[in-house]
Amino acid sequence: MAPGQLRLAADIGGTFTDIAVFDDKTGALTFGKALSTPSHLVEGISAGVAKAGSDYRAAALFLHGSTVAINTMLERTGAKAALLITEGFRDIYEIGRINRPDAYNLFFQKHVPLIERALRFEVTERMLADGEIDTPLDDAEIAALGNELERRGVEAAAILFLNCYANADHERRAKAILEKNHPALFVSASHELSQEYREFERCATVAANAYIGPKVRRYIGEIDAHMRAAGFAGSFLVVQSTGGLYEADQAQSQCVRMLESGPAAGVIGTQALCRALKIDNAIAFDMGGTTAKAGVIYRGEALTTGAALIGGYERALPVQIAMMDIFEVSAGGGSIARVDDGALRLGPQSAGASPGPACYGLGGTEPTVTDANLVLGRLGADRFLGGEMKLDAASAERALKSRIGDPLGLSAVEAADGILRIATTAMSYAVKGVTTERGFDAGDFVLFAYGGAGPLHAVEVAREIGMRKVIVPPAPGVFSASGMLFSDLRYDFVRTWFTSLDDAPFDDMEEVYRALERQGRDAIAGTSVKPQRIEIKRAADMRYVGQEHAVTVDLPMTVFARKDRKAIKRHFDAMHAQRYGTSAPEEHAEVVSLRSTVTGLMRKPPQAKLARGRRTPPKAAFGGKRPVYYAGRFHSTPTYRRAALLAGNRIKGPALIEEYASTTVLMPGDALDVDQFGNLVIAVAGGR
Amino acid sequence: MARKVKMKRARKTKADPVVTEIVRNGVIAVTEEMKTNLMRTAYNIIIYEALDFTTGLFTAEGETVSIGIGLPMFIRGMAETVKAKIKHFGRKNIKPGDIYVTNDSYLTGSHLNHVTLTLPIFHKGSLVGFSCCMAHWLDIGGTLGGMTTDIFSEGLQIPILKLHDRGKANETLIDVIKQNMRLPSRAMGDLRAQITAVKTGERRFLELVDRYGRDQVLRAIKAIMDHSEAMARARTRSIPDGVYQAESYMDDDGIEIGKKVPIKVRVIVKGDEMTVDLSEVSRQVRGFYNSGVTTGYACSQVAYKCLTSPTDYPINDGSFRSLKAIVPPGRIISAVRPAPMRWWMTYPMTIVDTVFKALAPVIPDRVIAGHHADLLIAALHGINPKTSEFFLANFGPLGGGWGAKRSEDGVSATVCINDGDTHNGPSEQSEVKFPIVVERYALVPDSGGAGRHRGGLGVERVVRARVPMTFNTQVERAHCRPWGLNGGGDASGNEVALRIDGRWKTDFPNAKVLVAMLKPGDAFRLRSGGGGGYGLPLDRPATDVAADVEQGYISLAAAKELYGVVLDPQTFAVDVAATERLRASLRGSPLRRQA
Repeated sequence: MAPGQLRLAADIGGTFTDIAVFDDKTGALTFGKALSTPSHLVEGISAGVAKAGSDYRAAALFLHGSTVAINTMLERTGAKAALLITEGFRDIYEIGRINRPDAYNLFFQKHVPLIERALRFEVTERMLADGEIDTPLDDAEIAALGNELERRGVEAAAILFLNCYANADHERRAKAILEKNHPALFVSASHELSQEYREFERCATVAANAYIGPKVRRYIGEIDAHMRAAGFAGSFLVVQSTGGLYEADQAQSQCVRMLESGPAAGVIGTQALCRALKIDNAIAFDMGGTTAKAGVIYRGEALTTGAALIGGYERALPVQIAMMDIFEVSAGGGSIARVDDGALRLGPQSAGASPGPACYGLGGTEPTVTDANLVLGRLGADRFLGGEMKLDAASAERALKSRIGDPLGLSAVEAADGILRIATTAMSYAVKGVTTERGFDAGDFVLFAYGGAGPLHAVEVAREIGMRKVIVPPAPGVFSASGMLFSDLRYDFVRTWFTSLDDAPFDDMEEVYRALERQGRDAIAGTSVKPQRIEIKRAADMRYVGQEHAVTVDLPMTVFARKDRKAIKRHFDAMHAQRYGTSAPEEHAEVVSLRSTVTGLMRKPPQAKLARGRRTPPKAAFGGKRPVYYAGRFHSTPTYRRAALLAGNRIKGPALIEEYASTTVLMPGDALDVDQFGNLVIAVAGGR
Repeated sequence: MARKVKMKRARKTKADPVVTEIVRNGVIAVTEEMKTNLMRTAYNIIIYEALDFTTGLFTAEGETVSIGIGLPMFIRGMAETVKAKIKHFGRKNIKPGDIYVTNDSYLTGSHLNHVTLTLPIFHKGSLVGFSCCMAHWLDIGGTLGGMTTDIFSEGLQIPILKLHDRGKANETLIDVIKQNMRLPSRAMGDLRAQITAVKTGERRFLELVDRYGRDQVLRAIKAIMDHSEAMARARTRSIPDGVYQAESYMDDDGIEIGKKVPIKVRVIVKGDEMTVDLSEVSRQVRGFYNSGVTTGYACSQVAYKCLTSPTDYPINDGSFRSLKAIVPPGRIISAVRPAPMRWWMTYPMTIVDTVFKALAPVIPDRVIAGHHADLLIAALHGINPKTSEFFLANFGPLGGGWGAKRSEDGVSATVCINDGDTHNGPSEQSEVKFPIVVERYALVPDSGGAGRHRGGLGVERVVRARVPMTFNTQVERAHCRPWGLNGGGDASGNEVALRIDGRWKTDFPNAKVLVAMLKPGDAFRLRSGGGGGYGLPLDRPATDVAADVEQGYISLAAAKELYGVVLDPQTFAVDVAATERLRASLRGSPLRRQA
């Protein structure tokens, strides 16, 4: 490893840039938070690094997650990009899946491609599903098209040829020609990102990569140059949507893999905590200003998915690559409550950071979840962000009373209580989205709460779902940044390979897996860090013959060594039963795609231990009492300063535990223990 | 004092607004989860990709509480079925552990492929509602392909029966079903998926009831339905009172080729109520395009919901209390036994569009111009020489153009109004499963009606056979093209073509091709119509027309002839002077329709 002993992790969000710094020698973990600087994001990073009392020169490793990729896509600020596509299929990107989710809305909308029709060009070529060439590619045609792109000032080109998963030769050749003739052009071919069937989804994936490519490439290049100029001599790794790391120069060409890096890092942090605490099954619950997100740790592993929709279901653009399986609902601190013809509704509109909730005093007049928390005493008006920002309780109360209370015949307090009850059920759907709908019993899971608003609601969300234990990690407001410190190098591959299981040729299957794994090993060999060891995991997307939808089944290496079809079938039946409640062991199964994950395990920082105290929290931790509303009235409720708590302390609910960017709420019957790492471990009363 | 007591009682029976909102989100979540479980467990593409199913929760009386769509045009099918099942068995004979089944076309209003399961939900011994699920089975027996002229040739008819009797499966019935299916294992797979779905509905609804109490939940449901009613009435009140009419037609019934099937609708608006009178739509026809009276009601409800409460969820019966439908028996949407019903879904879409057309003069900002109004499905069957197995490939829905609105262009390439969140199947998947090659899947330029706002574009798909196979399609609206509104042009209609021995045959009298044989190398092409335009094309900003030409949505010729816009063919720059001159001269001439 390069000189230096620090690991720097930087998570750039919409509002804040969070920095976590781990010192390999001393074991110290420090944090920095700075405002994001949209025009020149690297400044925010440097400011945060300075705030954490650190220096690029002392860093051996720089880990980075950013919203730059997703924002470029959502805000449509990407490059002028073109698409080269198989003849006859120019419009598939625009046609999409033709669905109309809002069934009775005549004013429905459809997705808008990132590449306009005028820049989508058809190419004379055709592969068949078995990899046979139906129409050969004409190199001269590609060369001519390349000149046309240059003439039109195109910055990036995406290539999507049909059935390339069966034979990628045409895509490879087309890319090589474009890159050779036009070195400045950003070129991306679909098979590099996904070798899975479904041409629209793969097309949308490669188009997104081309569209965001030039900007992300520049962005990463800038950070790299800035850090190198400041004396950084270590490795620069970027967090992918799977939570795994890849080398910055790989991120500069496969940009679409870092779309959800921030949320994924939080789940990785949860996974690391689970391992330290020997917890098998957990939900990573992240609640901020506009959304609540939930990810899953099952049997110690964070669950990933093979595809996701970006940007609201109706107009979503799909991305068909491995991602952390995160379910999101529009319920956050800024969610606005309103009365609609006598019915009380919450969200999906959010007051965001500006004008923000009514209590921010920035001009917001609509009541939000944060206003409700303030009026009910759960947030302290003078304790928000460590007292740096005063909250205006009178404004909150006015908004609640006039907008909700009066129309419904409720007091401001009753309105606030109602809003929180609705918010709790809404957030519980995020958790249910990743548990019950995937066949898990939420009662078997531990809820890890982070994000600014997560700890405020975690206990009630857990109670709603029937979860018995909640854990609030240290510094929940910067959890994604610290999560990155626990990431591994990771490469995910998929290859569509249709075969019936009964006569699946094991040798051929082995060859496909090995080819994928070779790519993974090569990629890891190409990174600038040396992992401790390489781990390979295999899975297959399978279904019963005749079914359309496949499920991803993790398969142990032993089934391949033993060529054990029956064992593969058993794994599939069990997975099917788990996810859907039924299986059909007598039915035949088929394989749709083969998946392989190659992980380069990195050395992890140890979990820092907190000084041990007694059962009763030290006096310094007691922050006085204030009235908090629950069970129909206000009760005088003790508050605690988290920073002063010691391992072994026990607090019984009702109580509030306050820290810089977050407050944890305990209700009567709930009991909190501070564990050896400083986590707040809460036994939830009445968990079903 | 007396007054005070009364107040207290009133409060006690009034639904709590907070619990109501929680229950509202809750019942939507229940039917969505039923949907998810059905889709993911289903065996056939029509359920999984085409979403030809609907899940729902109903009150103990059979009123719709929430529907998980599925199939928008099946908005009534389950409620009528639940009510019929209650009547059939008698409420006291409905027991925990029962699951009822039927595919009676004249009850569901649709075809025999729609198998409907109903599970009564009991809470502490009393009936609190029903969980229900309709799903389209890939095969239900009966004649394969071609035309049918009565219900008996369309497959197995299952009257209202118990599939499960107090938890015990009816094996006799299951044996009968298996014996009548071409693909019995698929049918059993779909049946299992449906059982999973209704049981999911039961479990999740009971969780809500346990959590918030039976009375609270039932009160909340009543409040939700009352609220939907109030919203629908308010929106109806904003439509001027009057009697509004419109006409259209279907190409033919597939038997008497070229004989139009007339459609005439009357809409009566009075205060906060609307009546949709379908008495004057055509009598039932000989070909299989009929549907049952449930679908007649569904046509009215779909149109009404689109106009009054499009985004009010859950979809529930409260929204329809202010709607009356007049649907005498024996019409194409109220056919009686033994009318053939296999292609039930096509005609109703045009009826819905015709209701919008009738109301266009009074609520121009809430309606849309005509859409392509057909699924554009094609079916192929044959024997795959590689596996020696029979295959049945359903292609579609294709998607097509939607009508323009007063405020915006129509949407291109989207599934017709019969369907909702229905997906097309990936070509790459079809090519693996069936011996075919998809040669083309593309937008059709100039297919949208011209207008101040342009209609959406239709789509075409060309599929080549790699082995001998039989082709079937039943497409409508080749002649009655999607109409424009308020001066907007008509779109192009739906079309079918075959390539036999390298030569395209396009001169079909309609868009119905029953049983055509394709040899290897032969191909079929389905082309969906666009959507009608809205407003005069000459009023469309020239820069918008130029952008359409640059993107290839309309041709240079159409820009000039229909929109009166003269462009530089290379740069697409608007020749302002020439355009003004041309537009002035075109305005002088009578309104030109798109050729």
